[in-house]
Amino acid sequence: MSTKGTHIPERLKIPFAGITPAPSQEKGQDLFPTGNWRAIRPVYRDKLPPCNNACGTNEKIQGYLDLVKRGKYVDAYALIKEDMPFPSVTGRVCYHPCEQACNRGKYDEAISIRAVERFLGDLGQALTRDVVKAGAPNGKKVAVVGSGPAGHSAAYQLVRLGYKVTILEKSPKAGGLNRGGIPDWVLPQHVLDREIERLVELGITIKTNVEVGKDVTWDDLKRDYDAVVLAVGLTQPNSVRAEGENKDGVLYGLPFLRDIGMGTSKVKLGARVAVIGGGNTAIDCAREALRQGAVEVTMITVEANPQEMPAVPEDLHDMLEEGVELVHGRAMTAVLGNGKVEALQLHPARFSGAINASPINVNREVPAERFHVDHVIIAVGQRAALDWLPDEFKSDRGTIKIDRFGRLGDTNFFAAGDVVQLGLGQPLMVVNAVGDGKRVAFNLDKVMRGESLQPRTIPVDVIFDLNRMNMTYFPHFPRVHQTLLAPASRRKTQEEVIQALSEEQAVEEAGRCFSCGTCNACDNCYLVCPEPCIERPSRSNGLYKILVDYCKGCRVCIEECPTGCLEGVPELDFDTGVVRMDTAFAILPGLHGRQAEELRNLAERPAKSI
Amino acid sequence: MSAIEVQRQLLPILDSPNQGARFYNPELPSSEPFVPGHRTCAGCGPSIQYRMTSKAAGDNTILIGPTGCMYVANSSYLCTPYNVPWAHTQIGSAGSFTAGVAAAYEAMIRKGKWKGAYPNIICEAGDGSASDIGLASISGALYRNHDCLIICYDNEQYANTGIQASSRTPYGGMTTFSPPGPMVPEAKKLYPKDLARMMAAGHPHCYVATASVGYPIDLMNKVRKGLNHKGAAYLMVYTPCQKGFVYETPRSIDLGRLVVECGLYPIWEWDPEKRQYDYSFRPQNMRPVSEYLKLQGRFGHLHTQHIANLQKFANEQWQMMGVELPEALLQAADAKNLVNMAAAEEAVTVAETV
Ligand SMILES: Cc1cc2nc3c(=O)[nH]c(=O)nc-3n(C[C@H](O)[C@H](O)[C@H](O)COP(=O)(O)OP(=O)(O)OC[C@H]3O[C@@H](n4cnc5c(N)ncnc54)[C@H](O)[C@@H]3O)c2cc1C
Ligand SMILES: Cc1ncc(C[n+]2csc(CCOP(=O)(O)OP(=O)(O)O)c2C)c(N)n1
Ligand code: SF4
Ligand code: SF4
Ligand code: SF4
Ligand code: SF4
Ligand SMILES: [Mg+2]
Repeated sequence: MSTKGTHIPERLKIPFAGITPAPSQEKGQDLFPTGNWRAIRPVYRDKLPPCNNACGTNEKIQGYLDLVKRGKYVDAYALIKEDMPFPSVTGRVCYHPCEQACNRGKYDEAISIRAVERFLGDLGQALTRDVVKAGAPNGKKVAVVGSGPAGHSAAYQLVRLGYKVTILEKSPKAGGLNRGGIPDWVLPQHVLDREIERLVELGITIKTNVEVGKDVTWDDLKRDYDAVVLAVGLTQPNSVRAEGENKDGVLYGLPFLRDIGMGTSKVKLGARVAVIGGGNTAIDCAREALRQGAVEVTMITVEANPQEMPAVPEDLHDMLEEGVELVHGRAMTAVLGNGKVEALQLHPARFSGAINASPINVNREVPAERFHVDHVIIAVGQRAALDWLPDEFKSDRGTIKIDRFGRLGDTNFFAAGDVVQLGLGQPLMVVNAVGDGKRVAFNLDKVMRGESLQPRTIPVDVIFDLNRMNMTYFPHFPRVHQTLLAPASRRKTQEEVIQALSEEQAVEEAGRCFSCGTCNACDNCYLVCPEPCIERPSRSNGLYKILVDYCKGCRVCIEECPTGCLEGVPELDFDTGVVRMDTAFAILPGLHGRQAEELRNLAERPAKSI
Repeated sequence: MSAIEVQRQLLPILDSPNQGARFYNPELPSSEPFVPGHRTCAGCGPSIQYRMTSKAAGDNTILIGPTGCMYVANSSYLCTPYNVPWAHTQIGSAGSFTAGVAAAYEAMIRKGKWKGAYPNIICEAGDGSASDIGLASISGALYRNHDCLIICYDNEQYANTGIQASSRTPYGGMTTFSPPGPMVPEAKKLYPKDLARMMAAGHPHCYVATASVGYPIDLMNKVRKGLNHKGAAYLMVYTPCQKGFVYETPRSIDLGRLVVECGLYPIWEWDPEKRQYDYSFRPQNMRPVSEYLKLQGRFGHLHTQHIANLQKFANEQWQMMGVELPEALLQAADAKNLVNMAAAEEAVTVAETV
């Protein structure tokens, strides 16, 4: 309340006969604390957006999309780099669980998060100096075995924490499956090279052609380093155990792609190629086969239809566009041919239980089909090569046995990535390996500092329900689509299939983000409050404040918060900040009470002074 | 005699908060001419309007408050929530008082006694004042073209005296003066006075517009256009009153959107230069009136025929704006396709309490 500009004659400035005197400007401000009308108090409480929650390394997606909206690209890049060492890579290869979880997907189309991530990653690659710095050296040495996504991520976080990190890699080039699995037309090698350079710039030593178990032993690791992270991935391809699998012309997906990636491939494919398997690796193999000169490529899967295939739908779609054929519900039971594969023997088959995770039932009652091929590529999963690992740390799943913090018993060895995640029911993917590497690095640091490892107990409120936000503020807008090379031309080249977003497109796409559950300083609450009793020194998440002395609890702000950051909490839950209003006639302590005190003393004052 | 220099404040127009798919309000002025501590009801629509209007106008502003909630519930013990000069005036003299303030500044400037920029002179009259009791005085101020902005904050009834019908109360709206009963089941038989069009038609040299608290930036921009207009301007703003409309307080802004989306409150501007209406404002959605009515106790007694009548009325408003009617809205104007208000029984008890 205000008395500004009000002329108050002297005689009205003293209390008289139960009428409280006019207040001063300052007192006027707190004369009527209407907050005591309130039953429900609005509270700013950020929720976790489902995208952040679904991301394997919990990138602050909502946060960087918001920065992109504001044109603060370098800040956005720096934010993404907290959790993700190579956004240029995941911006291309990630299976984007975030987009599957994106709330906008329930409304019109999910945000093209990966495309914006790539925009930021490429921007970061173009910076002459990266935004990330190594931490102050703490004098401790860590070896990271394996330079795939998990090892890369662990090394990156550890060097930021001040460790002296050495990566040991058995291949001639660093990168793990980023190089030796994911094809060039998804992830060009120069992009990966630049990210590996960034690791070296941070002071990490990368030793290639060093294999643990051969060049370096378990005991060497134990002796030479304060701690070790094992991120050795899955390097051995599975076989289908069909008759004649040892014939010429039978290839395995992983080495097939790895040799192409490392530049050491000698394979020359014939015209007709079959790929066995229905997952992402099989898709990559089929599409790579076209690029290696095959004319007709057929994918043979046990899954009865495309929906059941454990593959990313977009990649499947792009593969079909390139002309790969699908044959469903068949298992390869033998490789036929004289020394060299000439045809495959196929039988109807289906999974006996849950898709992709159960034994296969083959129907041998019906006559077998003969499927003519020049080459067959088997891509039915990978396993780890762990001969060098002490037995006590081997699990039944053929993985490294760890506790829930990624630690091997009470040693200073930790493990991360595919080599621990295989068989846990989670799809194996780069971002999960990155997240694992990050968490393990933080746990390792705790152990090194003598802190106890404790599971997180704070409950997280993930905002899945669109009713908790206000959708009226978000008109429908279509997703910005990345352009693709035309199918006919791309099936012959190693050129990147999916093209980058322009700056304008990236901003437009980021603008579609609801900012689920997280204040993005849109100012709506501030503008619509009838009192108005919402203050903010400047427009920023966390700086909005409700003046609880005045807020009447109308909840207009809560209703009109587009993001659902504001919520109502019953006033009884608070024991602070609740104001009581005294009336002019109630002689109570407090504001009016003080004036009433003066009233009571009135009689004792000389008449003249009144 | 040389021409008199009048320094004017030209207030910039604010950007739309809808930037493509992104919702983000433009940078708002930092001044706060309206401060908390007043005793209007929680969620009061007129207060929301005051907050937005005064923020758009800024600190060099004089407010005039004819009797109504925005005076009575706000000013006591010689203090008010207005952090700029404010004066109460009698409910019937909204226009004459405002004209007097404007004339006084004109005279002071002529005599060289006022050096600064010409202040924003804003009268905030309730609909009771603007459409009934003070109509003549407001028409006079507009007609004489005093440099001021007269706002009718339209809560569609005399709120402050306990909810009585005004000539802005809609057809079917229950108030203590228009209760539903066996003889008049729809509560109010007459349709609301087309006040803003009356002002535009009668004073074509004035800037006239309608707005709603459901569209804050549009409202603030119309305030600024009205103030920038040299001469008199008139603005009629939809401001829900939770006490009289009987709704849940968080809905205040939502109702401001719904009333427009239902076609019951056409949003337009009258351009005094071109002498024509601008009907280009389009809400995001078009909805049947029942979606608006069902949120309010004051319509709880309506029968299908009454709802159909209101839909017909809304459809006429859309047609006036040159909007083609979707089939669903034409259907909704037929009582056969409607159901009675679900809250009818509850509304009876409410009727006894307001
Ligand atoms: C063909 C293929 C395509 C894929 N495409 C995608 C994709 O598009 N998107 C996606 O998200 N995921 C994809 N994945 C899955 C993803 O690549 C893996 O989940 C991820 O790379 C696992 O990372 P990692 O660091 O645990 O293991 P890896 O990437 O396998 O890295 C392990 C590294 O350890 C090294 N190593 C192993 N043993 C030793 C040893 N004894 N001494 C020294 N070094 C050793 C290996 O040489 C290798 O470099 C794909 C997988 C395959 C097979
Ligand atoms: C000449 C005159 N008649 C009646 C009244 C009683 N009165 C005080 S406030 C009020 C209601 C005004 O209604 P409105 O202008 O719509 O403002 P609201 O209360 O709705 O904000 C009335 C009728 C009065 N003050 N003066
Ligand atoms: S709309 Fe934005 S914040 Fe919400 S889930 Fe999608 S990307 Fe995340
Ligand atoms: S809009 Fe204002 S008065 Fe209403 S609940 Fe929010 S802060 Fe309180
Ligand atoms: S309305 Fe806007 S500024 Fe207010 S809390 Fe919600 S997101 Fe933040
Ligand atoms: S009665 Fe209506 S107009 Fe008056 S203060 Fe309450 S909500 Fe506002
Ligand atoms: Mg009124």
